[in-house]
Amino acid sequence: MVVYSFYIFDRHTECVYARTWLPSDRPLSSSTGAAAGAVTNGASKPKRRDDNDNTAKLIFGTVFSLRNMVRRLGGEDDAFISYRTAQYKLHYYETPSNTRFVMLTDTSTMSMRNVLHQIYINLWVEYVVKNPLSPVEHKGGEGVKNELFELGLDQFVRSLM
Amino acid sequence: MIPPTCETVFALIIINKAGGLIYNKTFHEAGLNKVGTNDLLVLAGTFHGVHAITARLNPLKTAGDRTSTASASGMLNRPEPPTGLEVLESENFRLQCFTTMTGVKFLLFTDTTQANVDVTIRRIYDLYSDYVMKNPFYQLEMPVRCDMFDRKLLSYVREINNR
Repeated sequence: MVVYSFYIFDRHTECVYARTWLPSDRPLSSSTGAAAGAVTNGASKPKRRDDNDNTAKLIFGTVFSLRNMVRRLGGEDDAFISYRTAQYKLHYYETPSNTRFVMLTDTSTMSMRNVLHQIYINLWVEYVVKNPLSPVEHKGGEGVKNELFELGLDQFVRSLM
Repeated sequence: MIPPTCETVFALIIINKAGGLIYNKTFHEAGLNKVGTNDLLVLAGTFHGVHAITARLNPLKTAGDRTSTASASGMLNRPEPPTGLEVLESENFRLQCFTTMTGVKFLLFTDTTQANVDVTIRRIYDLYSDYVMKNPFYQLEMPVRCDMFDRKLLSYVREINNR
């Protein structure tokens, strides 16, 4: 099982956290946003960051459309779980407060819904929501810059692979 | 009456290469919400767009380009072109999408536990090529109104749903 990338979107459709574990290059972590890139990623790969930002937007659009489609067809209580193409698989989990967790993995991976749920419960709630210094809203795409959360997430995902 | 627990094919939608809805048929009323024709047209268009995006989202895009240049046997080793969404899962249904070489999409909505959907969808494609494409009165890209196709499709799906 391989995890390619992971995204969190808040209820204002803003991407508050993005992280990739691509085997080809150095893992790059970034709290998406206009200003955050230069700090985490250095000046060497400014283009890559732009790519990442656009990818996050595309992913949100896709996930949002599919979720609405699923609700229209399957009823209000239905939930979009995942989709698969020949190259990758996208897993989706939405909390009741409309925080959305998205994970891209290889195609042979089974359902990651419980994994995303674990990330929400054990990492997001513990380290970000319960942190009094963490901003509630992320205006201007400031993003989550939380060492404990990032460390915990990295360890958790690597333990899966 | 079909018990709702058994494996069931809910509905079929065919989308032409421009994203227009050209055929839709519901086989099992209880499976999906009732959706009006207008909404269904919007849905088909949306899915067409999303499908194109999902093909672009491949996280291994850069890695794939690199391996394509290296070919062991000297043969031109072209990587598979990226496919868009193939299977979508939700709590209440499963959506299988089959794209033909010409860009026509077959969307089959089934029960979440349904197996061998790709075989079913291939068979439906067979029926489509036999009874729609070989119909001299059918105009390309236009809504499918072929009696024979309707009949054959219905009897084929009924066979699956009653299994």
